Order: sequence, then C-alpha cells, then structure tokens
Amino acid sequence: MLTAALGMTLVGCGSWSWGRRSAGPSGLGDGHRQDPALSGNGRVLASIVERGGRATVILQEQPSGRLLPLGPLQRQQPHRSPSLSWNGRYLAVLVQQGGRRLAVIEDRATGRLQRLPLPADLEPQRLSLAPDGRRLAIEVVRSGRSVVQMFDLGSLLEADLPGGLPATGGGWSGAGSTRDDEAASPAPR
Amino acid sequence: MRQKQRHPGRGAQQRRFALVGCLSLIGLSLGGCLGEMPTPMGGLDRQLEQAGSSQAPALAGRWLALIGGRGGRDQVLLVDVERALPVPLPGLNRPDAQPLSVAVSRDGNRLAVVRQLDGRTELVLYRRELMGLETIAMQPAGVPRRVSLRADGHELAVEVSRGGHWQIDLIDIP
Repeated sequence: MLTAALGMTLVGCGSWSWGRRSAGPSGLGDGHRQDPALSGNGRVLASIVERGGRATVILQEQPSGRLLPLGPLQRQQPHRSPSLSWNGRYLAVLVQQGGRRLAVIEDRATGRLQRLPLPADLEPQRLSLAPDGRRLAIEVVRSGRSVVQMFDLGSLLEADLPGGLPATGGGWSGAGSTRDDEAASPAPR
Repeated sequence: MRQKQRHPGRGAQQRRFALVGCLSLIGLSLGGCLGEMPTPMGGLDRQLEQAGSSQAPALAGRWLALIGGRGGRDQVLLVDVERALPVPLPGLNRPDAQPLSVAVSRDGNRLAVVRQLDGRTELVLYRRELMGLETIAMQPAGVPRRVSLRADGHELAVEVSRGGHWQIDLIDIP
C-alpha cells in the first residue's frame, strides 16, 4: 500500500526532465519516419521511411544514428510493422509479394530470409517478435475481424539473447554465439 | 543380365546418388520459396479468440500486450503467455479512452500506451507494480501514434506527428 502511495506521488511529478532526443533524419526520402521498433537492448532502431515512393524499413544504430545494412529484405518493399530481437539479429517485418502480404524474418547474422506463410484466409496487419526471437504475434484479419495469433518459432530460429554479439548485417561470423550463461537467467516474474 | 540387376554397377549407383541429390536440391529450393510453417500456439489463440477482437500486439519476455475488446469498447490487455492467462491492470483502462498502441517491458511491469482521451491523443506510462499512470508530454508538442519500448522499459521510441510531419522521438524513462 505504501509502495503504491509512493508510486502515485512520484507519478505526479511529471516527465519534463526525462532525456529526450529525436531519432534524427535518415537522409532518405521525404523525411517522414514511422513505425518505430527498438531492439531489446535499445541499440538498434528500426523505422519505416519512404524511399522511391515505397515504404522501406531502415535500421539505425543507437545513439549514433548510423545506418546499418540490410540483406535480402531491401528488395522486398513495401515494408510494414518492423520488429527486432534482443541484439537486432532478427528483423521481422511484413512485406508485399504480389497480391499477398507476408510475414518474413531476416537473420542479419547469416543474411537468410525466413518466410512465414499463413493460411490464405488470413491477412496480416501488424506483428511483434519477442526479443529472444522465440515467439511471434501477428495481428490478422479474418472474415473482417482483427485477431492476434501467436506462433512458436523455437524450431525455426536460434534464440537471440542478452549478451549475444550485435549483428552487423549482411552475414556475421559470430552467428549464433549467444552467451548461454547470461541466457540462462530467467526474466523477472 | 539378371545378375547385373541384383548387383548394380558403379554407374547405376552414381545415377542413383545423382537422382537423390537432385531431389534434395529441389526440396531445399521449394522449402526456401515456401518457407517453413511457424507453429501456432493453439491454446492461447483460442483464448484470444474468445476475448473478442484483438490487435496491436507487443511481445516481451513472457508477456503479450495487446488491444482487445468486445462490443466496440477497446482496452489494453496483458497476457502471461506461459500460463495463457490475462493479468489485471488496475487503474489503466477507462471507458472513455480509446487505446491505439501499446508496448510492454520484459518483466511485464511497464506498459507504454498511446490513447485517445477527451478529444486528444496522449502517451502514458503505466507501472504495474505501483498501479501508477503517468502522462508523457510530447516536447515539442505533437500527436503520438505508435510506441515501442526497450526490453528493460527504460527507453521508448514513439512516432509523433508535428505539423503533418511524422518523426520519431526517443525518450529515456527513469
């Protein structure tokens, strides 16, 4: 009770003093930046910009803002709803292929693109990748109704855990070398 | 001739290996084109289905935050994925607010929410342990839309419209 009361008091103090910064210009397209997604460790920011009239995901190292390279995904626009794993190794995003929208995951460590086909009657709208890369939530429209569906990716992806090496994009020699000692610590409950 | 069929020569064996190799290559190529099917989490999906419509999912740790609703009234939901159970969020949802985007920290304690309330759009931070809600002002002024939270819940990225221009702000949270 005391904790709750203290919390409410602190909450009333306002947020004016919190550190703020703009993600800054990407140097691409018309300057609009949308759909932000931070990696679990906060060192990579994904966002959507217009490039050549097509929605394109970009990755920026934080806090430097340096653009990071993309692999096969850079040819799969338009992009929508990016989501990153803990170290930014996996980038999940919706792409348009022909008349269909498709969820894909790029492994920035190996350059491999993993397509995740859904039944034809499900139209994906948004997605979220768990920071460890083990689960994926996809908002789909079925019969005109939005529903979130959960998928276990344990058999498809190696986990990306705290303490793993950052993926630099376009293949990475340290692929899969996450540190199991840190990985073994469970999330707070 | 009969003996040759029972004990195929080296050439026949090579042809067999070549055939197996070709079939494997075709299989791998098709696999790459079609992709492997992710495994649906059926029990949780059924629960979400029963809860009505659901959208804007955000995963972190064992937690799934989303916007769900029935009868046109949406609210922020937090689900423990491992137990397939929703957890209460006292003081967060209110009948006159429309949530638009939600993000959750890895420990499930912090939720960042963009919502419409009293004709304006605001970004709020909810701390579950404290049952406390705090408005995060946009500086300079702007209209927030989508939000993402770092896994430890101490930084967020929010999409903000300023004068018709979409930008992304990064905000440190103590």
